[in-house]
Amino acid sequence: MVNLVILVMVGGGLGAMLREFTMLMVPNPVDGFPLDILVANLLAAFLLGLVTALHRRQVLSDDVYMLLGAGIMGGMSTFSSFVYGSVVLMHASIASAVVASVCVVVSLALGYLAIIVGDNLGGQARRPVAAAARGG
Amino acid sequence: MTALDVLWVGLGGGLGSLLRWWVGRVVGERYRGDFPLGTFLINISGALPMGYLSVLFAVDWHTRHGTALTAFCLTGIIGGYTTFSSMQMDAVKLAGTRGHGRAASYLGLSVVAGLLAAALGAALALAQR
Repeated sequence: MVNLVILVMVGGGLGAMLREFTMLMVPNPVDGFPLDILVANLLAAFLLGLVTALHRRQVLSDDVYMLLGAGIMGGMSTFSSFVYGSVVLMHASIASAVVASVCVVVSLALGYLAIIVGDNLGGQARRPVAAAARGG
Repeated sequence: MTALDVLWVGLGGGLGSLLRWWVGRVVGERYRGDFPLGTFLINISGALPMGYLSVLFAVDWHTRHGTALTAFCLTGIIGGYTTFSSMQMDAVKLAGTRGHGRAASYLGLSVVAGLLAAALGAALALAQR
């Protein structure tokens, strides 16, 4: 239990710092859409798909998966900044509200895709996450 | 953003992630349904203080405390607490067990509730001023 606490906390701290570095490196477009948060989120989703597949194949132990999945990828991705950034953009004008809504939908679709791509890369393609969830 | 601020982000992110893990465990022990309730509750409960504190910090406290408070509380704790990657992982799993419609509704519901929570938080902070 104590070990798990340390793994999640250390991983989460590292993940949050990785998110901060990503945000410092990725420029935001002039219309104000938080592209930097999207990049950090997509990267984290891709990596989570990857390590989940590797954990399922027992390439990664439970502890390492806890450090990487719950810790680093969980700390690296964020939902709160994503929705708050969209709220700010939606408030600005009708046009930016439309842009923000489209960006939110695209972000969701890309995030979903990122998990699938990571999962396919990390696991056998014939046994994707969906089949594993079914108990296949 | 200074090097020290990055450390504040790391410290806050560690605490936020720990809280996320704990809430996920507690919810998982009590709720056995298919809906990914843990991640949903985590994200909505993080979106509200994100809206609230972003307004407070940006306008009233920034000059007094600089960027360290934002780095620790917002980017660190709340950013580390909420998660986008686990939400997407939940959606992919839900698509496998309950079909793509359920997965899409879960994502849609999360984002709409999250947007409302963040807007409510911001409105509360603005109303107080």
